Amino acid sequence: MFSPQAQKEISYGFPSLIAQWKNTIITTTSTTKATHNTSNSWKTPCLNVKFQDLYDFAVEGNIDDVNVLNEVSERVRQQAKVWWALEESKGANWYLQPQISSNGEGISVASLKLSVLTNTISLRKLIRKGIPPTLRPKVWLSVSGAAKKRSTVPESYYEDLILATHGKVTPSTRQIDHDLPRTFPTHPWLDTPEGQATLRRVLVGYSFRDSEVGYCQGLNYVAALLLLVMKTEEDAFWMLAVLLENVLVNDCYTDNLSGCHVEQRVFKDLLVKKCPRIAAHLEVMGFDVSLVVTEWFLCLFSKCLPSETTMRVWDVLFNEGAKVLFQVALAIFKMKEEELLTAHQIGDAINILQTASHHLYDPDELLTVCFDKIGSLTTNAITKQRKKQEPTVLAELDQRLRRLNSVKLNDEQ
Amino acid sequence: MATIGNNNINAKLVLLGDMGAGKSSLVLRFVKGQFLEFQESTIGAAFFSQTLALNDATVKFEIWDTAGQERYHSLAPMYYRGAAAAIIVYDITSKDSFEKAKKWVLELQKQGNPSMVTALAGNKADLEDKRKVTLEEARAYADENGLFFMETSAKTAVNVNDIFYEIARRLPRAQPAQNPAGMVLSNTPAEQSKASACCS
Repeated sequence: MFSPQAQKEISYGFPSLIAQWKNTIITTTSTTKATHNTSNSWKTPCLNVKFQDLYDFAVEGNIDDVNVLNEVSERVRQQAKVWWALEESKGANWYLQPQISSNGEGISVASLKLSVLTNTISLRKLIRKGIPPTLRPKVWLSVSGAAKKRSTVPESYYEDLILATHGKVTPSTRQIDHDLPRTFPTHPWLDTPEGQATLRRVLVGYSFRDSEVGYCQGLNYVAALLLLVMKTEEDAFWMLAVLLENVLVNDCYTDNLSGCHVEQRVFKDLLVKKCPRIAAHLEVMGFDVSLVVTEWFLCLFSKCLPSETTMRVWDVLFNEGAKVLFQVALAIFKMKEEELLTAHQIGDAINILQTASHHLYDPDELLTVCFDKIGSLTTNAITKQRKKQEPTVLAELDQRLRRLNSVKLNDEQ
Repeated sequence: MATIGNNNINAKLVLLGDMGAGKSSLVLRFVKGQFLEFQESTIGAAFFSQTLALNDATVKFEIWDTAGQERYHSLAPMYYRGAAAAIIVYDITSKDSFEKAKKWVLELQKQGNPSMVTALAGNKADLEDKRKVTLEEARAYADENGLFFMETSAKTAVNVNDIFYEIARRLPRAQPAQNPAGMVLSNTPAEQSKASACCS
C-alpha cells in the first residue's frame, strides 16, 4: 500500500538534517527584539529565519530557535543509541512484551512478573525521554494498543473498508473534502495530490467505521501528523482508531463535543489546584482558559506546538493515556507563570500562551515541567473528575439545545 | 462588551458562520491584508486583535474567529458571551451557508447581548458566476432582522475593511468627550468611503 516515506524519504540521518536546517535558511530579515526583553536586546539584533523542521514543516523563528532545534536533533540521535543498545541487550522488540496497563484498568498483582514490572518502568522512563522517529511506528502501535485492536479483525479489514467507502458521498465526506487542502497546507507532502488522497482515505475510512464520530474538524490535523509518523496509512488509521476509542475521553469529537466540554471543566479545576496564582489572576481578568485550551485538546497540540515537540507529547500520550494532555497544558501555563501574572488584558494573556507554545522547540524543557513541576496526576484522579463534571455538562448542553429549539418555535409562530 | 475609556473603546467581536464561508479569510484580510487560497481550518477559535482609528474614537477589536462545523456550535456561547459585535458570515455561492447564517442570527437574538452590533456578511462576492444567494434576498432578510449587511470578498478585499469600520462606528460611544480636540484623527481612508452594500 502507500507509504509517505517511500514517496518522500524522510531520513533520520541527523547530521545531514542539521546541515539541512543550516542550509534551508530561505530568508533572513533583521529585526530588533521587542523592547520588553530589556538588558541586552539592543546589541543582539534578532535574525528571523525560515527553515524546515524534523517533519518538513516550514517554520519561522529566530536563530535561537534554530540552535535549539539543532541541539534537539543531537539529543534525538543520542536517544536512538540508547534504544538500539537496549535492543541489543534485551533482545529486539523487548518493548513489545506485555506490560502493565497504565490506562488505569487496575493491576493484578498476582499476574505481575518482575521482568514485566521492570520493563514497564524503564519503558515509561525511556518514552518520556523520547522515542527515536524511526522506532515510533512500531512502539506507538504496541504501547497504545493499536496493534492489539487490529489483531481482533480480519487482516483485510482496512482494505475492505476503503473499498466499501469508494465513491460514497456523505455529509462527512463532503466536509473532509472541504478540509483536505486546508490541513497544514504548507507541508510539502500534505500539499500534494497523493498526500491529500491518502489523508482522505484515512479520514473517510474512519468516518464509516464510527458513524457517531463521522468526521470532526481537528481530526484532519491529527490524522495528518499520524500519517507523517507511521509508515503506512493503515497504521495511521489504527492509531486514529485507538486514540478515539481507547486513549481519549469518550465523545470528545461526537455530536456536540460533550467529551471536550468535560475535559475543559476538569482542566479548569486542575489549573486552580496546580497553578492557583495563575488561575486567580486570570479569573480576575475574566479570561476563560477554554478559549485557548479547547484547540490544544481537540488537535492534541498539533496546531500549537512545533512538530517534534508534538510527537514527544504523543509518545507519552500513547503510553500513559489522556492525563498527559492535562499535564502538558498545565506545563505551558506554568512555564509562563510570571509573564501571565503581569498581563492585564485577555489579548495579552492569549498572546503570551500562543507565542510560548509556538516556540517550544525544546521538548525536554516542556516535559520536564510537565513531569517534575506540576506534581503527580493519575489517570484515576482524572477519571473521577470527569465523572463529577459529566452531569453538569450534559445538563448545560441540553439546556442550550432546548433554548435554541424554543427560538425556532417562536420564529415559526 | 465594549469597554470605554476616554475615546478608546475595547470591543470583543465574534465571527460566526458555516464552515468554509470565509470567516478566517475575512479576519486575515482585515488584520494582515493577506489572502490564502487554502486557509487552515479553524479549531475551537482563533484570536486576533486590531485597532481602528476613527474620527471620534480609537477602537481596539478583540476578534474571535470561530470554527464553523456544526458540532462546534456548542462551544460558541463561550466566544460570543460578552461580545460587543458579531459578524455572521455566509458564502454567496452556498444556499446552505445562508440558512446556517439565519440560525446564528436567531441564536444571537435569543442569547446574545441585546445591544450587540450584528453584521451579516455575504462573502466570496468575487464568485459572481457561482452565486446562489441574491443580493436582494439577503438584504431583505438583513433589514427584517435589524442587521447591517454587506457583501464582501476576502480574496479581492472588497468591503472587508468597510465592514469592520462600520461596526466600529456603530459601537456605543462614551458620553461626550471632555477634550475631543486632542483625539481627533482625520482623513482615515475608511472614513472617506462611506460603506456601500454592493460588491461590484
